[in-house]
Amino acid sequence: MKKHHFLKKTGLVAMVVAMASLVQVQAVVDMAAATGTLADIAVMAVQAKANLAAAANSGDIDAIADATKRADAIDAALSEAQAALAATESAVAQNDEAAAAESIGDVDTAWKKANDALNGAVPEATPKSLKEQWKESTTNTGSGPGQAYDPPNIYDVPWQSAGLRAVYAAQFGNVYVSGGGSFANSTSFGDSDATPE
Amino acid sequence: MNRHSCIALMAIAGLVLGGIVGTARAEEGTGQLVSKANESIAAAVAAVEEARAAIENGKQLIAQIPEDSELAGEVKQMVVAASENWKVAIAALDGAKESASMIQSASSSELAQDYALLATVNSGVALSGAKVVQTGLLFVEAAASNKTEALDIIRMAMQDSLAAASQVQFNYGRVKKLIAEKYSK
Repeated sequence: MKKHHFLKKTGLVAMVVAMASLVQVQAVVDMAAATGTLADIAVMAVQAKANLAAAANSGDIDAIADATKRADAIDAALSEAQAALAATESAVAQNDEAAAAESIGDVDTAWKKANDALNGAVPEATPKSLKEQWKESTTNTGSGPGQAYDPPNIYDVPWQSAGLRAVYAAQFGNVYVSGGGSFANSTSFGDSDATPE
Repeated sequence: MNRHSCIALMAIAGLVLGGIVGTARAEEGTGQLVSKANESIAAAVAAVEEARAAIENGKQLIAQIPEDSELAGEVKQMVVAASENWKVAIAALDGAKESASMIQSASSSELAQDYALLATVNSGVALSGAKVVQTGLLFVEAAASNKTEALDIIRMAMQDSLAAASQVQFNYGRVKKLIAEKYSK
């Protein structure tokens, strides 16, 4: 009887502690306000596009270039804010106060970036949006920073996992590069002498 | 006066003073919320007025585009999109004004904050809707004056604007839902 009472009491305490910690995370993170901040960044994106359209209509090349830089920077900030808000939601769901506070800070940082891009000086280097980065990472455009042309993966087996296919592609790429970067080259592997003499 | 009554008097004076300071702070906070909401509404009103002027200008420009023009279909699409966003902007502006008017009479500072947030986000919906209208009508203007180079950029800007404006509307819906959930618990 006494044990049952103790369990009941500790259970209640645990429940109260759990609820208190949940309230604490919700107090740290105001999801409605954060969502409002994201909406505000999207508004800035629309404003930047309207400015770009106005610059295009004016025919002023410099104005178009500046408006494009601003619009691109705001798009990048919008992508960052979306990712940060998703991370905040996930942290709140897991009751992780520190992570929630950090990612909510990222939403505010993204808003500041967007606001600077719209109203401040023209951004110098345009950061790429997450979507663009992802698209580039999955597409061989032939203009990547590494090789001018990624060799085709002749061992590609379409039904294998993406990871395994990437390993095969990397191996094939290494062999290709070790052969001088071209199979048509007479000095590529297979055509070179086995021994120096 | 004995020591006990002196302490009691001091405590009452402290409570009264604390109450006065607290009320003053709450009023100052509400005032800030009202001015912030009004600021965002003013920006939306300015954008809506610009859009109204663009619509008036666009009505005359459409007449200049020949019916057999290859851009006629696209111009029609732009006008339809602009018209839809115009309706959204006007409705959102009314909503923003209504939310802002509730801030002063809110029963708690939290409720006042939520009304201010609704007013700000709704102003954003109105502002983005009005900007989409302006971009759409810039396309009409460029088509009427045969600015083919500008058309490509404006076309892309309009597509991006529509996507971003729908994000604004989606997030406004989320804000409304989150606030409603807070008070339905």
